[in-house]
Amino acid sequence: MQTPRVVFVTGKGGVGKTTVSAALGQRAAELGVRTLIIETANDGSLAQLFEHRKLSAAPQRMHAGIDAVRVDARELVEQYFSRLLSSHTFSALAAAAPGITEFLLLEKILAWIDPALGSRRRGYGLVIVDGPATGHALKLLRTPRNLATMVPGGPLGKVARRLLTLLADRERTQVVLVSLPDEMAVRETIEAQRVLEDDLVLHVTRPVINRVFPRHFTAAEAHALTQALAHNGAPAASLAPVIEAARFAIACRREAERHVAALRRALGSSPILLRQLFATHLSIADLAPFGRTLGRVVLGAPSGGRDDTAPPPTARTVATL
Amino acid sequence: MRKLQGPLESPSLVRRGEDTVTMLTVDRLLRKQLVICVGTGGVGKTTTAAALAVAAALQGRRSAVITVDPARRLKDALGLSDLSVEPHRIAIDPAAEPVLRHVRRRPPECGSPAEGGGLRRAGATHFEALALDTKRTFDALVERFAPSPAVAARILANRLYHELSNEIAGSAEYMAMEKLHELFHSRRYQIIVVDTPPSAHARDLLAAPNRLTNLLASRAVSVLQAPASLLSGATSSLGRLGLSTLLKALERWTGVELLHDLADFVGGFEEMVEGFHTRAEEVNRLLRAPSTAFVLVTSPEPRTIETTIGFQQELAAGGFPVGGIIANRMVAFPRLAHADQLLAEWDEPLRGKLRRNYAELRALAQRHRNALQRLHEQTRMPLLSAIPALTEAPTSLVGLRRFAELLAPSQGSTKLKAES
Repeated sequence: MQTPRVVFVTGKGGVGKTTVSAALGQRAAELGVRTLIIETANDGSLAQLFEHRKLSAAPQRMHAGIDAVRVDARELVEQYFSRLLSSHTFSALAAAAPGITEFLLLEKILAWIDPALGSRRRGYGLVIVDGPATGHALKLLRTPRNLATMVPGGPLGKVARRLLTLLADRERTQVVLVSLPDEMAVRETIEAQRVLEDDLVLHVTRPVINRVFPRHFTAAEAHALTQALAHNGAPAASLAPVIEAARFAIACRREAERHVAALRRALGSSPILLRQLFATHLSIADLAPFGRTLGRVVLGAPSGGRDDTAPPPTARTVATL
Repeated sequence: MRKLQGPLESPSLVRRGEDTVTMLTVDRLLRKQLVICVGTGGVGKTTTAAALAVAAALQGRRSAVITVDPARRLKDALGLSDLSVEPHRIAIDPAAEPVLRHVRRRPPECGSPAEGGGLRRAGATHFEALALDTKRTFDALVERFAPSPAVAARILANRLYHELSNEIAGSAEYMAMEKLHELFHSRRYQIIVVDTPPSAHARDLLAAPNRLTNLLASRAVSVLQAPASLLSGATSSLGRLGLSTLLKALERWTGVELLHDLADFVGGFEEMVEGFHTRAEEVNRLLRAPSTAFVLVTSPEPRTIETTIGFQQELAAGGFPVGGIIANRMVAFPRLAHADQLLAEWDEPLRGKLRRNYAELRALAQRHRNALQRLHEQTRMPLLSAIPALTEAPTSLVGLRRFAELLAPSQGSTKLKAES
């Protein structure tokens, strides 16, 4: 039985982990790879993106070739122990025991990946873990190593070793760090990348920076626009918003470039840039360009030929002036 | 459905700082004694909480902000290297003061925090902030409630305690509430603003005090002292097998007799259960008091909005007073009537670029507006403030002051300088 490739997506809260997971899943499915996305946040965000109501503990079809499943750590702990005994006490206590929550979560995730474990439906070529935020994700990814050292034998140790093997397999398992072009997110990404690569020796892809403003204006144009506002005081009052919008976009772009450069300097690799989406109604189709970019880096897939020249999906929903 | 009042009525209003909404509601918010900022990750909750404390100080109230984020982002925002676990005084430099020429004047009041009233001077020149240290707060709690110093010492020395005090599910949340309780009863402040740990659900936050006391008040101790009784309680032989494997594994895991440690730990706590329980009840009452307001902090993106709606529903169901919404990073540009005419004064290709850029930002603005409209319709909560998207998050005190000014513009305020 074939073991699927695994992509673990993490990053600071609100950076777009779910967006990246969904875009990558969509691209993989397009390339004929059956994909499972595992949502760990339980905030309904992934389902919403695919315009489904809610995920459940059993995989549901989101899109052709994409299933998604919800894995809730607290629920797992409670289920596991309340099945064993009717005491909520012990489940609360066990939840508190260091590493137990992480272990149960990983075990559940592994059950969707490792054909030798569990009795779940197989056939996925790619499993994407839409992971928790950085801090918790690091704890999660550290657990197998701690566990394998501390519990060498028994079923627990066996699971730990399997997890360790899977994570250490650089051909198969990758971690994607998602970030935003702002100072705090970039700082967190740099720290996380170092821990993941140097300490945990995982295969971390180039970082992803989401919501990067496009560069519409040349330096000369930007200068002219700044002058227009500075000297004319008020241009035609009714034109002010247009100038202001341009200045806003220019400032956002400059800011983004600054942070991209900082990240590049710190990590020595070029971030993968995903642009700010402007559509009034975002749908999964809007993520297609992201999927192609991410697919190229993460899946080693071709960029998709003529798709790249297709007009951006925003054209459909862009507001009129 | 009533239309959303405030900045969304006229999108151009939230475009620039000086145009932000009428602030009656935020003013009222700042006269509460306790403001709790809740929301999912990445919405600017920490910044908002800090800025609310600054805004309150600028209105002359003695204010403090508690942040519980382990990343210490408030510290970053304030540019401080050692924001302590004890309230830390932060001066607001009057020289850098962008506003506040005059504020309604009233004779200064002394003494305890006045309900609904509050001190009104020309603006305080400082506020206080602290970053929560879960472990140290937990330690203090143990010391306070332990029946004897010996018991306290035993617990504090317990190896498992060291892990648990940081790792126990919800302990950060619990300790935020604990610290809040302590500061509130110190009566040093007229308003305390609380930042909360990011979570996908409000229940994670609010269940914490009960979760901990339930654990401690339970029969955990007896169970742990006789694990066999636990096993007999398992409903299936498979269950028993699984559990005994797990217990053994747990023992090996820590390399010691974990169960013994655990029993010892919980045993020590058992004697303090009553104290904990009383405290949790007090906190629960405090959180539901009329002088308390929860604020939903959100970004105006559709998926974040859905999570925020969930927060409001959970809070309302729990009987907590939700005061309103603060939306960060709002983009707003008005619809233009005669764009072609307007743009005629520019030559191609700049004209086309301006047009395209405006169309993009206008679409984004509509997305934000629609999202907030939906949030309002689903929650019936007032939009207290919509903070325009700043190109740079405030990472300095000056930035924070500008943010505070956007949140709660003071009366007679001079116009903010355009961002550069």
